[in-house]
Amino acid sequence: MELGRKIAQALEAATFERVAGVGLANAEVNRPRIARSVLELAETPLGTGDTAIVVGAGPSLRRRRSLERLRASGFAGTIVAADGALGACLRAGVVPHVVVSVDPHPERIVRWFGNPALTAAPADDYFRRQEMDPAHREDELGANRALVELVDAYGPKIKVAAATSAAPAVVERCEQARMELYWWNPMYDDYDRPESLSRRLWKMNGLPCLNGGGNVGTAAWVVTHAVLGRKRIGLVGIDLGYAPGTPYEQTQYYPELVELLGDRYREAFIHTENPVTREVWFSDPAYHWFRDVFLQMAREADCETFNCTEGGLLSGPGITTVPLDAFLESAAAAGRKERTNG
Amino acid sequence: MPEFLKGNYKLAASIEDKADAADSTDEFEKKALSRLGGSICFVSKKGLMWQGEAEPQASRATPENGDKDKAGGAGTKDSPGA
Repeated sequence: MELGRKIAQALEAATFERVAGVGLANAEVNRPRIARSVLELAETPLGTGDTAIVVGAGPSLRRRRSLERLRASGFAGTIVAADGALGACLRAGVVPHVVVSVDPHPERIVRWFGNPALTAAPADDYFRRQEMDPAHREDELGANRALVELVDAYGPKIKVAAATSAAPAVVERCEQARMELYWWNPMYDDYDRPESLSRRLWKMNGLPCLNGGGNVGTAAWVVTHAVLGRKRIGLVGIDLGYAPGTPYEQTQYYPELVELLGDRYREAFIHTENPVTREVWFSDPAYHWFRDVFLQMAREADCETFNCTEGGLLSGPGITTVPLDAFLESAAAAGRKERTNG
Repeated sequence: MPEFLKGNYKLAASIEDKADAADSTDEFEKKALSRLGGSICFVSKKGLMWQGEAEPQASRATPENGDKDKAGGAGTKDSPGA
């Protein structure tokens, strides 16, 4: 078996090691700020109908100008964004109804909401190095300032589906920008086991536990279906892979792979042809695992999931691949039919 | 070690405890792997959402902070889906 796939098999347990401790600690810190359950989110006014778009921060978002096309279409359904895609959404004039945030990292994630306290380029090169949002790579401080203004302006219109694991700095920033927070627990382990952390959390705060699927984009899809009850879900920017030509140095886990594998780090990348575009995208073990998990969840879910990314690596049973324009047109047609009938 | 197998001499070389070495390699791999993990867990063979469970009134587990209603409360069933 390829090295990348072999490592990917270990990541369910590895992720628990990575996030459980800090996630539970954050749940304790966030506890006094929890006023609403994510279940209440379904009762709030969002987009119309049972159609939704989930926005991730993958490279197809820019390559395919997905957000500009979404905005131009006048899509009336619900828009749910991963926190990493919030900046791209607002810059494109798309104000998501809901933003999902899960990552417990103490300093990094607040940057997706614009960090008013950032006055100098930080030593951590996470945002400069990666391919996720080029705006941050080109002018880190300028991009942050612009994002602070956008989030301050549109924050009151955006609801946040916040995991109790979310970094307290993110929670503070959301409150400062007058974003309404709706809370849930990440499912950490098998809640049927008496010593389960998930069960312990539920007993502590009474919030539902959501199966997060390894990353915030998948968690946003889970919120959209399991919490908001949307039945037709289009995906943009959920590539679960890196675009052709991306230097390995700009991939998310590059430093960690070099540390683990030394000169053999290249062997951890898995190259796959997109069945529609025929482009060869690639993943690292984490993205490969995210893809496998997403396919597993989508296959068993009681909703239709449409991959409208026009790129990426997410294809298989449970996923229908369609161009974004076709999905938006079918959503508009369904809306017209609903209005005629109703 | 049985008494009759014990030598009556001393070795010049020191012998490392392989069990300890293996443990420390495992620990390194575990730590290194954990840095490759995701930002949120995935629990296989479970549904998309668990809302807690209904318990008999007398023994019902109340949230420790006592603000279950304020937090929106837990339901009683698993979600549709996976």
